Amino acid sequence: MKKFLVLLFISMLVLSACSSGSNSEADADTNDIKVWAWDPNFNVKAMELAKEAYKEENSELNIEIIENAQDDIIQKLNTSLSSGTTKGMPNIVLIEDYRAQSFLRSYPDMFYAVDDAINTEEFAKYKIPPTSFEGKQYGVPFDSGVAGLYVRTDYLEEAGYSSEDLQNADWEQVIEIGKAVKEATGKQMITQDPKDLGLLRMMIQTSGAWYLEEDGVTPNIANNEALKEAFRLYKEMIDADLVKPHADWSQFIASINNGDISMVPSGNWITPSIKAEASQSGKWAVAPFPKLPGMESVNASNLGGSSWYVLNIPGKEKAAEFLGKTFGAEGKFHQQFVEEIGGVGTYQPALEGDAYQAEDEFFGGQKILSDFASWTEEIPQVNYGLHTYVIEDILANEIQKYLDGENLDTVMDNAQSLAEQQAK
Amino acid sequence: MNIPKNLGPEEVAIKPAPRPARSLRLKNTLVGWSFVCIASLLIGIFYFYPMVQALILSFQSGTGVHLSFVGFENYVRLFQDPVFLTTVKNTVIYLIIQVPVMILLALFLSVVLNNKTLKWKGFFRTAIFLPCVTSLVAYSVVFKYLFAPDGIVNMMLLKINLVAEPIQWLTDPFWAKITIILAITWRWTGYNMIFYLSALQNVDRSIYEAAKIDGASAVQQFFKITIPMLKPIILFTSITSTIGTLQLFDEVMNITAGGPGNATMTISQYIYNLSFKYTPDFGYAATVSYGIVFLIVIFSIIQFKAAGDKK
Repeated sequence: MKKFLVLLFISMLVLSACSSGSNSEADADTNDIKVWAWDPNFNVKAMELAKEAYKEENSELNIEIIENAQDDIIQKLNTSLSSGTTKGMPNIVLIEDYRAQSFLRSYPDMFYAVDDAINTEEFAKYKIPPTSFEGKQYGVPFDSGVAGLYVRTDYLEEAGYSSEDLQNADWEQVIEIGKAVKEATGKQMITQDPKDLGLLRMMIQTSGAWYLEEDGVTPNIANNEALKEAFRLYKEMIDADLVKPHADWSQFIASINNGDISMVPSGNWITPSIKAEASQSGKWAVAPFPKLPGMESVNASNLGGSSWYVLNIPGKEKAAEFLGKTFGAEGKFHQQFVEEIGGVGTYQPALEGDAYQAEDEFFGGQKILSDFASWTEEIPQVNYGLHTYVIEDILANEIQKYLDGENLDTVMDNAQSLAEQQAK
Repeated sequence: MNIPKNLGPEEVAIKPAPRPARSLRLKNTLVGWSFVCIASLLIGIFYFYPMVQALILSFQSGTGVHLSFVGFENYVRLFQDPVFLTTVKNTVIYLIIQVPVMILLALFLSVVLNNKTLKWKGFFRTAIFLPCVTSLVAYSVVFKYLFAPDGIVNMMLLKINLVAEPIQWLTDPFWAKITIILAITWRWTGYNMIFYLSALQNVDRSIYEAAKIDGASAVQQFFKITIPMLKPIILFTSITSTIGTLQLFDEVMNITAGGPGNATMTISQYIYNLSFKYTPDFGYAATVSYGIVFLIVIFSIIQFKAAGDKK
């Protein structure tokens, strides 16, 4: 009995010791900065370059980069921030632009504004609305996600076309070429995951439209002409059997690398995956993203892209300064980012650098980085707002009905009322 | 015996030392309670407290940390939410098709493997039980590749000329559901079979012998002896399978991610989406999880009633 009481007492002591241990860590002057990011070949690598570049500036700062899957980062942020604890949180975290508003609005006091660390004027304009909230800048804009239409020039040639025919093209023209290529080579035009509407997102952003109104909250579906046109084009491609379905990322990449498809409309971050198949060198080109026919629309769009955020915990000033002096200032970091990773940044002064002028043999000597950089400047600015993925799930479901033959307006009205119900 | 004649046996036991006995009993009670106490405390902290908190949470709504009480609004929204209703429909389809198929298959396999004359019995039992020890995510990923458009299943079907073009196992609303059902049946049949096998060991052989002498066929023996004898176990496995199916998450998340559209999305996955994929609304997510609790209770009651078990 005595033993038992002693045991109980000890276990209580241990428990209370555990719970009070966290106080001692509130050291405002910490030199340890933790960073969470996904994608070891792109984001993590870029952060490592920045870390190296910053050593000359401040060698005291000890930056630790931890790789996490994007879904894990979202989960960890949501669970920790909603319970009000910042223990174990990183100082800097990468958030996708589509999701940024949702985090900034849900946990307003948990992020640290970086207005003093960067000059928002120096970044691509379209990056600012998603990364700022209530007049304050929270995100340090990072990669561009500028979209392009990657095409197999050898397939196009078999059908009597060249990548020249895709300059400033609209989707109707592209579909015509896709049909001709399928006729000539038997290869379908694109591959598509029926659950991922990235293609539609890119299409509507070319005309400055989004799933939501400019306030970032009100669903804009029923009267969204761009979205309707995108739906119609999507059905046209499906009906012409130009779309090869895939269910996950690796199947997507496999379709590209196996040469099953003639075109890949995607963000520039797909470049390394396309180049992974070295035997296809010289057989690819990148055309500007096609615009929507019959409406105001430009040959530039965006897919994905993310920005760095500083959490409101000890070390925030140093973390913000680090981001400002690397991602938000001229220096060798940007040059290395282009040379070693092939990424396209959003820091405008760096876009004129020599590295962007490099010719890429894989793409038949095309200066793809310089092209991407020039398209970046044209991307229409939209407010991604709060509900991108809620609405996308609704649309992914509704588009199936439309493909099965239901009337477009009925489907859109239905999606609108669903979105109004869900997105609050 | 040297018991004095004027004393009964109880008095002998108690009288010599009344005090130590009482303190012994007290001590016993205390020790007993202290054992129960720890378990109850832990269950209370880690089960009931979160349940009550979740119930309170289910009456709140808002994004992230901006939660405010909205009364029964979440519950009203729940019944008007087409996505929730779709997920319930999907889950119930899995339940109605998969659980009976699996239970019958498990029963059949266990009876076959219980045959005394069967050789390699241990091997077959292990082989059928083995899927249960694989991780949910690992086997889901393997299934995703097996059923990919150019996966091995389609290749086989094409090679033996059963189909003219690959079946879209993962991207067609109908076939995606079939894929999920096949996957969970593969994973859980062996698990249920083990319960039946162990229950069959306890069925007296002489009942079968008597039936055989009376001229009962194998089929009659199965329906008239085996099934009634296994009834409590069948009830148990069907309830646990029902609960498991209602909480289905890993397979759907990894094989189809709920797609195409919402065609394979389950209730649990919807909770995940509400909390993590969309702008987080933990209040409404808690409401949906109470929806699952409610459904589990209803289905369990139905099964108890259908099995006619009054105890």
